[in-house]
Amino acid sequence: MLNAPHPDDERLSALAFTDHDAIADAALTSHVATCTRCTDLVNELGALRASLAELPDLQPSRPLRLLPPGADAPVATGAGTAWVRRLFAPALTAGAALAMVGLIGTATPVLNGAAGGAATGMFENAGEPQQGGGDANYEALSSTGDDGAPAEAPGAELGRDLSSAAARAPEEAAASEAPLQPDAITDEDQARASRQPTASGGDGRLASELPAERSPWPMVLFAGVALMVGAALLRWILAPRAG
Amino acid sequence: MSDDSGTTPRNRTPPLPDEAAVIARAAGGDRTAFTQLMEHYQGACYGLAWRLLSDADQAADATQDAFIHAYRAIGSFRGGVFRSWLLRITANASYDLMRRAQRRPSSPLPDPEEGAPELPDLGAVNPVAEATKSELYRHLEVALTRLPADQRTAVVLCDVYGMDYNEVAEMTQSALGTVKSRIHRGRLRLRELLAEHRELFTG
Repeated sequence: MLNAPHPDDERLSALAFTDHDAIADAALTSHVATCTRCTDLVNELGALRASLAELPDLQPSRPLRLLPPGADAPVATGAGTAWVRRLFAPALTAGAALAMVGLIGTATPVLNGAAGGAATGMFENAGEPQQGGGDANYEALSSTGDDGAPAEAPGAELGRDLSSAAARAPEEAAASEAPLQPDAITDEDQARASRQPTASGGDGRLASELPAERSPWPMVLFAGVALMVGAALLRWILAPRAG
Repeated sequence: MSDDSGTTPRNRTPPLPDEAAVIARAAGGDRTAFTQLMEHYQGACYGLAWRLLSDADQAADATQDAFIHAYRAIGSFRGGVFRSWLLRITANASYDLMRRAQRRPSSPLPDPEEGAPELPDLGAVNPVAEATKSELYRHLEVALTRLPADQRTAVVLCDVYGMDYNEVAEMTQSALGTVKSRIHRGRLRLRELLAEHRELFTG
């Protein structure tokens, strides 16, 4: 069939590589069956197909790492440490929350103190020169009368207190030297003593002798930070691989 | 891939005897089992990477990348032929490497005449016949490296590793018609390149 037009070579390739649509093409297969040139081409391509499918696996030119970097380290994947990964995020969150609360609690009095100092400074700048310190100024502020007239200067009051104390001193000294008479303490005295409010809460000690009240906020801050650090350390030691 | 039928072509790595159990252990985090799988299939992966990239170093890098991807993804392996799954990962890693190399003018594509790998010893029973086969494979490997990259990729994925046209089109992000055309032109070009060794194929 010298004059028969040959099918496109790509169609013959498809036939050689057993493409379904080429096999189903009756015109193509009938031509190949009667054309030596096309039959040879299909046979050659068929042999090529078989050889390509048989190409062997190749050995790497150099040794390959079979595990990703970092995966060689001992990894705890069992249930024994699963709890560490499970609790890590909640512990970290709780620690951060505690630390934040502690930080705010610790910082608030400091900030308030700074604000109080600023208010005192404002008073000192606005008013007349005052005797005494910042506390006296604060008392002067709070003792301003309803009519807007300023109260007596606290310096004057302090002077009066000092002079009356000096007048009372000899009497008190004499009383302290007199022998203590148990009968002299009457029930009325005891009742009055029990009613008298004291800065120490009635335990007989002066306020200056009491230990200063400790703020809990630094401890809260410390506990939060410790919780975060502890959780991170535990996670790093026991379950280093991200789960 | 034709490997999905469960039969492995001659000269290709067969599945491990207890492969399903090894895969299950590897998926559960057993690194020894994962290492066993990669060791068993590294020749298959490297062979695919070398045929796509025609460079020993790049093929080793691509195989290494494929192992990393496989390590991360083995937990999601849902059955089927493991070899085909791993080869798909390797093909993607190799194709990514190829595209990166093409985007970098400073790193030219390797000279296909250099770095041809040593073909493995086939353990010949009939030394004469196996020597002929080895010669055929060597010529075929060299001819593959001389194909244009797009035709080589399509022929290797389809005709050497048995992916269907749709898989090749998806992997190379090309139209189905383009892939078919590349494959047919690549086959015809291979035939031309091997014309002087025709007796090795037809004999």
